[in-house]
Amino acid sequence: MGLEEKLPNGVLLASVEKLVNWTRKSSLWPATFGLACCAIEMMTSGGPRYDLARFGMEVFRASPRQADLMIVAGRVSNKMAPVLRQIYDQMPEPRWVIAMGVCASSGGMFNNYAIVQGVDHVVPVDMYLPGCPPRPEMLIDAILKLHAKIMDEPLGDTRKALQLESGYRTPMIPSSERFAKK
Amino acid sequence: MFDALKGFGVTFGTMFKKVVTEEYPEVKKIPAERYHGRHQLNRHPDGLEKCVGCELCAWACPADAIYVEGGDNTEKARFSPGERYGAIYQINYLRCIGCGLCVEACPTRSLTMTTEYELADDNRQDLIYTKEQLMAPLLSGMEQPPHPMRLGDNEQDYYVKGPELAVSMESAPFADSMETAPLKEQGK
Amino acid sequence: MTLAADKNTDIVVPDGHVKLTIDGAEVVAPKGELLIRTAERLGTVIPRFCDHPLLEPAGACRQCLVEVEMGGRPMPKPQASCTLTVADGMVVKTQLTSPVADKAQAGVMELLLINHPLDCPICDKGGECPLQNQALKHGRTDSRFTETKRTFPKPIAVSSQVLLDRERCVLCQRCTRFSEQIAGDPFIELLERGSQQQIGTAQDQPFQSYFSGNTIQICPVGALTSAAYRFRSRPFDLVSTPSVCEHCAGGCATRTDWRRGKITRRLAAEDPQVNEEWICDKGRFAFTYTTEPDRLLRPRVRDAKTGELRDASWTEALRVAAEGLTKAKEAGGVGVLPGGRLTVEDAYAYSKFARVALGTNDIDYRNRPSSAEELAFLGSTVSGTNPEHGVTYGDIEKAPAVLLIALEPEEEAPGVFLRLRKGNRKHGNRVFHMGQWTTPAVVKTNGTLIPCLPGEEADMLGRLPSEVDELLRRPDAVILLGERAAEITGLFSTARELAAQTGAKLAWIPRRAGELAAIEAGALPTMLPGGRPVTDSVARAEVELAWGLETGTLPTAEGRDLAGILGAVANGRLAGLVIGSVDVHDLPNPELAERALDSGVFVVSLDLRESSVTRRADVVLPVAAISEKAGTYINWEGRRRPFPVVITGTNRLPDCRVLDTLAVEMDADLFTQTPAAAMADLGRLGHHTGNRIPAPSVDAGRPNRPGQRHAVLATWHQLIDHGSMQDGEPHLAGTARPAVARLSVDTAKAFGVADAALITVGTDRGSVTLLAEFADLPEGVVWLPSNSTPATVRTSLGAGHGALVTVTTAANGAAS
Repeated sequence: MGLEEKLPNGVLLASVEKLVNWTRKSSLWPATFGLACCAIEMMTSGGPRYDLARFGMEVFRASPRQADLMIVAGRVSNKMAPVLRQIYDQMPEPRWVIAMGVCASSGGMFNNYAIVQGVDHVVPVDMYLPGCPPRPEMLIDAILKLHAKIMDEPLGDTRKALQLESGYRTPMIPSSERFAKK
Repeated sequence: MFDALKGFGVTFGTMFKKVVTEEYPEVKKIPAERYHGRHQLNRHPDGLEKCVGCELCAWACPADAIYVEGGDNTEKARFSPGERYGAIYQINYLRCIGCGLCVEACPTRSLTMTTEYELADDNRQDLIYTKEQLMAPLLSGMEQPPHPMRLGDNEQDYYVKGPELAVSMESAPFADSMETAPLKEQGK
Repeated sequence: MTLAADKNTDIVVPDGHVKLTIDGAEVVAPKGELLIRTAERLGTVIPRFCDHPLLEPAGACRQCLVEVEMGGRPMPKPQASCTLTVADGMVVKTQLTSPVADKAQAGVMELLLINHPLDCPICDKGGECPLQNQALKHGRTDSRFTETKRTFPKPIAVSSQVLLDRERCVLCQRCTRFSEQIAGDPFIELLERGSQQQIGTAQDQPFQSYFSGNTIQICPVGALTSAAYRFRSRPFDLVSTPSVCEHCAGGCATRTDWRRGKITRRLAAEDPQVNEEWICDKGRFAFTYTTEPDRLLRPRVRDAKTGELRDASWTEALRVAAEGLTKAKEAGGVGVLPGGRLTVEDAYAYSKFARVALGTNDIDYRNRPSSAEELAFLGSTVSGTNPEHGVTYGDIEKAPAVLLIALEPEEEAPGVFLRLRKGNRKHGNRVFHMGQWTTPAVVKTNGTLIPCLPGEEADMLGRLPSEVDELLRRPDAVILLGERAAEITGLFSTARELAAQTGAKLAWIPRRAGELAAIEAGALPTMLPGGRPVTDSVARAEVELAWGLETGTLPTAEGRDLAGILGAVANGRLAGLVIGSVDVHDLPNPELAERALDSGVFVVSLDLRESSVTRRADVVLPVAAISEKAGTYINWEGRRRPFPVVITGTNRLPDCRVLDTLAVEMDADLFTQTPAAAMADLGRLGHHTGNRIPAPSVDAGRPNRPGQRHAVLATWHQLIDHGSMQDGEPHLAGTARPAVARLSVDTAKAFGVADAALITVGTDRGSVTLLAEFADLPEGVVWLPSNSTPATVRTSLGAGHGALVTVTTAANGAAS
């Protein structure tokens, strides 16, 4: 918004930051980017058994203008890379990317000329999810870890600089531990 | 005419069916024992490492995800029975496809897989697991290497008489369970 | 070899050949060929362990059993095909057609495996093991042996770099035969009998050989392993790249195995014309120097404010270097010292850089004692050397007589030493060593020592024993000169004369790998590339045309040599220096060199590692190590030894690229952006057919004579010493020959040090204290290894071969 840059850093802004982050993480809208086998698991996650809607994700739509999370599910071929980048560029900020599965994360076992060796060569990745393919639980775990990351996102450059200086990184606690029923 | 209502009937009827949704983050889903989760490097009953650094796992790996470098056991610093131990052991989970060929290749049953699967992380470096992260936790009666061989004079004793010795060591009652039990259950 | 296509057609058997039948196919083979090789040529591989083409047959492992029928009568038992020579009418059935041979082989394999431990996963040989492969191919699927296997304590360190595991040994005797036949160091032998038979060393006498690494490579099981490579990696995870050894002028073919940007080991590659299948331990193990912590990775520039070296970007460093060199060029000139370890491409870049960018002939690659006579010899005789016309390894082997002057082959050219020994054993050639004492090389080549005072070699050539003179007159006789020849006045001239008189071929074998390349590239003050004299206007015009320069651009006067350049710098007549990989302590006068570097001149250093030069330089430009660049060495035969990049993707720049960019900053074009471009540019110059530099004509000098107070120093480098290219390899250093001072009993008595264990050899500059050992040196001569002690001959004594030194009992009894 630009307004937050003009305000002094303080308790009020910290709370606003939390509020903004909470709204953002509570309704992530994924753009579909199913490319291979991982997409099957991704679709399963959206179904009734795993029900991603529990986390405010609802359904996957091929509408990047409305989406703020891209789950790259599957190996990205060199030909697909520009398309992926275009979809990413069409998404409004703030936006996040999950590299789902080893192929999207690093090229996986396809260490060859045809496959992009990790989508982070094309777009910035916020969460890497290993597995071939990862179970729906693993995807949910990755999304929840991303939620935690979003909650820690600084609002504005001043806060960002402060966080950088402190060297703080969101701890990656396994979701089953973090949300375990007491 | 009733066709339109039939559809609603399905929706309505579902309300009375048992909920199929997994309660995943709150209740952890434990996969089957044979599930190919993250790896674990096992120990002998006295805590010495089973890994001999032979690199057969790295050879078997179709994704080239494993990197091993052997080391020389000396009288001063012994990590495994026998001459050789794995000095460097790394698995890159961003390459690992969980196929389990490495486990099949392992000649000492050192490398096995657990049912652990919550691995997502936000940078590539942290997903290269090193030996410290992969080593099985020390159970009671085990001792952190390096230390001399406690169960025999040479490595043969560890393999030939290993299971008996493990049983006889009262603190480690089930030698077999050490290989397969997930980390959590071993009281990490 | 001819295969019988039709049984009815008669195969013509040439003279000296026989006809036999293997597995039903008729084969013609030369007489005396071993059956196992004839079968191999036919495409039938008979399993074997002890058989090695370069070793004499032993028939030790019995793995190669085949069924043989002679003159219609079958031999009673299967025969070992590695010891059996072919004969006319022989009918052979290998494991492919004969169940008897197959069963015999499987049986032998089972016996060999009885005591072999099942430790393939931890064995360094696993994955490239002939035993493993052949057991899978020819062995039984299971073992019937249920008893306890024989065990030995393991591993035993046979030497600091060879480890022995006797449990794995199949007693093939390849190692003992190699040591005895090829290297001539029979320290490793078969001991005991029966089931306790084992390989071992004599007590208190370690397996000390400069070639011991070869036994590791030819061991068909994992019995001999390398301490340096122990458990480092598995062969299947390694990338093997062909390479060429950078340690001496031999140009041995090697194979570099590496993974993840790191060299794990180096092996001998096969090149029948050069190194056959052997390399020395220095070539095999000394590769860790490129990964030492003092390796230069970023350019450095001397900060104008603090006066300290600081890291800089390439852009900045090259700009500062170009500015400084341009200024120095105007202020008096810049000298260039490329060093003697360069590839042709890099040396050519230095040569062209000096002429084109700096406009000078002040370039001398010789970072060692040198002389003007040598310069003339290099121009007249050495430049243009090639294997077609000059002396080759093969010539050495076949020569009726070889005269070595000022050359210690085992220490300075191990490949040449192996050929000399092979020549003596196989062809009975006579080897004459003109030196000071009966070195191990003299004994092992079955040679004759022609003793002389250090420095007296030239004079001695005129008074050769008549037997030597007569043998040298035989066709194909060879005279070999060593690096030390430059320290002996008149030796090059007299050796040339002797060669002309006797008709013997003359060759010069330097110590460093880059010497011939630097001569070819014209990195000398009197020579342009290809041996073109700088004073010859036709030759200059040729080069100017090829380099696209205007006529008359190239400097016309001969430049300064090494001593001249350093002297001119120290006197302030030269204002700048471009220095390659030069170690000050190798120079004939390290003190002068340090004074020159400290005199405030502008120094640009292109080096691999930190050195006393880089510490004094104004700009330090890091260059690629041998494994990080492609290039071509030229060995002493004049043979081109090209090699590819081993470790790819390091982004380190070879000298030729750095100089090219530096030249561009100075508005000159070298066209040496890559080694390939440099080679192509050199190729455009073509062969030189015009005038050459006249041959030297210097009378034999008067050597220093030992007197009452002074002895004469003889000195040369040992193969494994304190050279900086052997850093970081303690296992190799452990096999160095002990550093001792040698003198005769009489000399010791004359100087009153006969009872002293430690003696001090000194000059007015300093001294070296060493254990004394008696040898058959001429009276009044003392020998020191050049660089095997912390106090080296050059730095501490400031002396060289033939200098006068004092010999006293060590004062405080402490070895320096």
